[in-house]
Amino acid sequence: MEIIRTEKLEKIYQDNGVPVKALDDVDLTINTGDYVVIAGPSGSGKTTLLNLIGALDKPTSGKIFFESEDISKKTKKELSEIRLNKLGFIFQAYNLIPVLTAIENIEFSMMLLGVPEKERTERALAIMDELEIKELADKRPNEMSGGQQQRVAVARAIVNNPTIVLADEPTANLDSKTGSNLLDLMEQMNKEKNITFVFSSHDKQVIERAKRLIILKDGRIE
Amino acid sequence: MKLLLKLAWRNIWRNKRRSILTLTAITFATLSAVAMRGVQIGTYNVNIKNAVEMFSGYIQIQRDGYQKNPSLNKAFRITDEIRNALNTTPRIKSYTTRIHAQGLISFKDNSQGAAIFGIDPQTEKEVTHLLDRIDEGSFFNSAGSKEIVIGAKLLGNLNAEIGDTVVILSQGFDGALGNQKFIISGTAKFGSPEFDAMGVFMGIESANDLLSMYGNIHALVINLNSLDEIETVRNNLNEKISDRKLAVLSWGEVMPDLKQSIEFDNISGVFFLLILIVIVAFGILNTVLMSVTERFNEFGVTLSIGMPQLKLVYLVLMEIIFITIIGIVLGDIIGGIINYYIVQNPIELGSELGWIYEEYGFLPQIQSTMERSIFINTSITVFVISVLSSIYPLVKVYRLEPLKGIRYT
Ligand SMILES: Nc1ncnc2c1ncn2[C@@H]1O[C@H](COP(=O)(O)OP(=O)(O)OP(=O)(O)O)[C@@H](O)[C@H]1O
Ligand SMILES: [Mg+2]
Repeated sequence: MEIIRTEKLEKIYQDNGVPVKALDDVDLTINTGDYVVIAGPSGSGKTTLLNLIGALDKPTSGKIFFESEDISKKTKKELSEIRLNKLGFIFQAYNLIPVLTAIENIEFSMMLLGVPEKERTERALAIMDELEIKELADKRPNEMSGGQQQRVAVARAIVNNPTIVLADEPTANLDSKTGSNLLDLMEQMNKEKNITFVFSSHDKQVIERAKRLIILKDGRIE
Repeated sequence: MKLLLKLAWRNIWRNKRRSILTLTAITFATLSAVAMRGVQIGTYNVNIKNAVEMFSGYIQIQRDGYQKNPSLNKAFRITDEIRNALNTTPRIKSYTTRIHAQGLISFKDNSQGAAIFGIDPQTEKEVTHLLDRIDEGSFFNSAGSKEIVIGAKLLGNLNAEIGDTVVILSQGFDGALGNQKFIISGTAKFGSPEFDAMGVFMGIESANDLLSMYGNIHALVINLNSLDEIETVRNNLNEKISDRKLAVLSWGEVMPDLKQSIEFDNISGVFFLLILIVIVAFGILNTVLMSVTERFNEFGVTLSIGMPQLKLVYLVLMEIIFITIIGIVLGDIIGGIINYYIVQNPIELGSELGWIYEEYGFLPQIQSTMERSIFINTSITVFVISVLSSIYPLVKVYRLEPLKGIRYT
């Protein structure tokens, strides 16, 4: 089933009055269960594309359909609701709220959805169990390694059963072994739970393991 | 909701130094406001109480218009209704009656202007400390006595001595001139030139005779326990007394000069406090802005995962409110301790400063008060100022775009 479809997507940034074309004529479809990697050199538009699909930004022209609904013209508030309800995010860094423990971070996104406290804790524990990070429950981000933090971020991203999880260079700050473990985890979630993942990366490891590879160059799909 | 509170609480302690700085500023503003207002209002209160109990009484009943423009014939009789009102109104401790007049006092070749007060020493001493003002000699003790007490300066101006006989001349209620002989039994000192150089106190019955008042009086002076009973008693009396020609006046109306100088001083005190609080407000604005800007990347991530913008604003607001409330409570407690200490141990000013105070008719004493309104008003003001000075940083949070935040990474 189609989750996201873009049509002639174009994004032009104004960089001190100079227009910079970051995306040009991008047509892309992502379906349920996909495990997609967007690759390309630095400055090729990976983050820009991910931000547009992730309802974090609006295109200059073109359309983005999320579950067949055009979201390119929605308001800030509507986009925020879509992100909360349908999307999971894993960023490169600063994923977690520093003053909250791992389990509280995972509960946080459920709190935003209004999940009752008791259910929140149960679900957070269950997902941590599944990801084998239960022992991190009461640790704060600064007491965890980068890999551990990213695993907690994965837990937070998928705990609300999002339609799709977007990850912008999730392994960029990790050594290759830790990165590989994180990829194992996401692959497993993709297989077992049929969660759809879209990554951006120029990490070889990530690209090699892609089920579907999209290569961007100068804002265009090659 | 609980998680959000927890988050707000922990965020405060994340940058301990800054939070403690903000907290200190708020505590300091609150406690100085409480202490300064306490001393101001406390000192006003003892001075007012002193002035009131010295002569004017808490409340006076007069003919309407007498206060502004006194004249002998603006007098009234104590009717049964008035007596009844006085006896049935709670909180009235005691009352006394007075006659006021202008006249001349002569001893041998000397004549001086006299402000004549007819009083009843037996009831007067239940209402004011007038009788304690005796300097030399003694006070007469009956309302019909032919003895008088005059201002200490007046005695000197007349070149008279205690025990001398003087003549007092005055126009009476019926227009005819009356003159009678009196014996000076003592002198009184008030520290006010008006009384010391002109005051003549005689029994109210003698004054009634001299001035042909036929039982009319000029003022009914009422004693209460405390200043804050005035409004209630006054309203009560106004309801019970149907004679619209009578006015129930508070001390402030009887002594407008005192009231005005207090109000003026009060305004300057409030103004000073406002300046202090505005300075603190800028401090708060600054620290909140810093703490918010520092966390833009973190806020960006929370906005990205779908936290509503308003909830984020609410989170930051809660942090501010937490700090503010702690600061206010601490400030109220410390300020309260200071006020309590001063109430228990009023500061007596040394003779030099004290002299200046007395010159202006103030007691040489600094007193405070535990009046609840001081704490309430201060707390509300500091709270409002603190929230107001956070508006700008809050708007910045409200406008933050998730991507702008993330790009800080
Ligand atoms: N906010 C912005 N303002 C101006 N130009 C921008 C902005 N964001 C991105 N760009 C430009 O758009 C182009 C695409 O940037 P983008 O961040 O999408 O690339 P990327 O593929 O994610 O690169 P990297 O691998 O370095 O993360 C670049 O030329 C970049 O300089
Ligand atoms: Mg990028």
